Amino acid sequence: MATYKPQFYPGKSKVAANRKKYMDPSYKLEKLRTVSDDDIVRLMGHRVPGEAYKSVHPPLEEMGEPACPIRELVEPTPGAKAGDRIRYIQMTDSVYFTPLTPYMRAWTGHTRYRGVDIGVLSGRVPLEARERDLEKVAKELVETEIFDPARCGIRGATVHGHSLRLDENGMMFDALRRFQFDKKTGEVVYVKDQIGVPLDKPISVGKPIKEDELRKRTSEYRVEDVAFRTDKEVVSFIERLHMLRTEAGFDPNRVKGI
Amino acid sequence: MAKYSDKVDLYDDRGRVFASKVPLEALSPLQNPAIQKMVSYVKQCVSVNLEGVEKALATGAVGGKGCLINGRSLKVDLVKSAASIADEVKKNLQVSADDDTDVKVLKGGKHLLVKVPAKRLNAGVEYTTGATSTAAALCCAIVDQFKVNIWDADLVHASVWGRYPQTMEMLGGNVTSLLSVPQQNEGMGYALRNVPCAHIALITKKNAMNAAALSSILEQAAMFEMGDAIGDFERLHLMGLAYQGLNVNNLVYDIVKENSKQGTLGDVVISTVKRAIADGIIKPLAKAPSGYVNYTTDDLSKWNAYASAGLLAGTMVTCGAARSMQHTPSVFIYFNDLIERETSLPGVDFGRVEGTGVEMAFFSHSIYGGGNPAVFAGNHIVTRHSKGFTIPCVAAAVALDAGTTIYTPEKISGTTGEVLSEVPELREPLKYVNEAAVAIKGGV
Repeated sequence: MATYKPQFYPGKSKVAANRKKYMDPSYKLEKLRTVSDDDIVRLMGHRVPGEAYKSVHPPLEEMGEPACPIRELVEPTPGAKAGDRIRYIQMTDSVYFTPLTPYMRAWTGHTRYRGVDIGVLSGRVPLEARERDLEKVAKELVETEIFDPARCGIRGATVHGHSLRLDENGMMFDALRRFQFDKKTGEVVYVKDQIGVPLDKPISVGKPIKEDELRKRTSEYRVEDVAFRTDKEVVSFIERLHMLRTEAGFDPNRVKGI
Repeated sequence: MAKYSDKVDLYDDRGRVFASKVPLEALSPLQNPAIQKMVSYVKQCVSVNLEGVEKALATGAVGGKGCLINGRSLKVDLVKSAASIADEVKKNLQVSADDDTDVKVLKGGKHLLVKVPAKRLNAGVEYTTGATSTAAALCCAIVDQFKVNIWDADLVHASVWGRYPQTMEMLGGNVTSLLSVPQQNEGMGYALRNVPCAHIALITKKNAMNAAALSSILEQAAMFEMGDAIGDFERLHLMGLAYQGLNVNNLVYDIVKENSKQGTLGDVVISTVKRAIADGIIKPLAKAPSGYVNYTTDDLSKWNAYASAGLLAGTMVTCGAARSMQHTPSVFIYFNDLIERETSLPGVDFGRVEGTGVEMAFFSHSIYGGGNPAVFAGNHIVTRHSKGFTIPCVAAAVALDAGTTIYTPEKISGTTGEVLSEVPELREPLKYVNEAAVAIKGGV
């Protein structure tokens, strides 16, 4: 048997290397800021901090489960065990050197977190999970290097802004003005939760990452820095897959050794 | 003589070996007697909601939502008289005394499970014979037993047949078949694909392995009927049925087990690739400058079978961990994205499952309406594109859901799934298909 080591993503550029790094769950994401558990709960706006989790069904132990070998094998997450509602955090990522591109959010989320439902849309990426599981995931999403306070937005609704020019402070446009740049502290503060409901007190998510640092950390191919076409290995990978999918659709038996 | 030299080991739903070195074709819908019996039962078995008929007659609420005929009602104790009604229905349906007609009284007379004799179906060309003859037989039984006069007979018809023939189907009726009327099929050969996953989960009593198996049998049998599983593509579909739906070589069960406590979808992808390499299905082709290895295969149909087994395992781990069905489209897209990036080989059904996932995500997450995964079927406009590899995973996910949806599988299925779960071959398909495969393996 050939030695196999998970490889996650092809490519020789720094962008490809970042993609590989973020998708690899054995790589520990660098923590860049601290946001308290309660503030994460406030930012999402699904419950008040300290409030009990609402449930969509009784705890699994109480309700009993059908006789199913897969239910017996697969350990439910803590939120599923308790019968939590399924809630979400939704991110908008700027096209200007954001740490995670939308697709990267899905790939990274599915390699790092168990029992999550991630969808990628044109300008937003919701991640849904049982509520208490979601809160743990959301904390890592906001506190680590895969989040930039200025170019990632926590936006449940009216997500528009990912492809617009940045403002004079390097902030992504937000029609609901959920976040502001505090010139005194140099930090980004949220004054509204992800839906746009005003918060009782502002929540700081720290200083924006500097431009050169962002370019180092980004997983986005972009003409001003690493253009997609310059990463020949990734381009040939995409072309190869396209060719194989097409050939296989014509006749799977002819696809041999290529 | 077998067309293909492939041999597989059969396992049950709990990962126990059942038989070794069985020819792949012993699992083919063209050869396996249990699969043929199941397909036949799907046509023959019909569910009757006697309680529903009684209520409709009593209230005049016939023909579906919002329809009430004031002043029309008929008080008949159908539930209490279920046994004699069943006898009468059987008498009406039977062609000869020794045929396979059967009528079972269930739930204290609230429901009937009717098996229309094969002879009736064989005498026609349309599978609707099951539902039409049961509905007609029931009407006759009620009219005869309760001496219903000519002025009330129309109400009996409406309470049994619903709004038909004003509608194409028996809208608001109380006789249901697993199969929809032909006009509701998306194209030729789609009949067996038009069974919502809610029914499948309930028929198999929410055993995820059996739900996947039954769904895969119906989907892949449909591939033969649609003209997909033939020539260059027959083995592709047989492999898919065997490895994804019927847990051959214990592939699905093993991968789920490996990731059952902590595994993510990404971990399931890695387990699948590891197993494919270990079994010699894929091998390194060339190393790119970054060190990335492109993999290749000499047997793309088998690689597709491994990937589709991994896809089902990924669904079971992700939806199983969350005990929630809504994760299915996300699994379809990203399992395939990840396995393609891991190997540089095409994902399940060569991209069609991934595409199906994109559409299904939109239509199952309240973005463009639609519904939860339990309403989806292989015939659904959004999920019909993958040829038999998507819906088994949806059925398994619906079976694993602990109650996260507003419209539960029970609500969507009504009495149909519950009643048809009385048919052992449909309830435990893995067991019966395995037994039949062993019985015929010498002759394949």
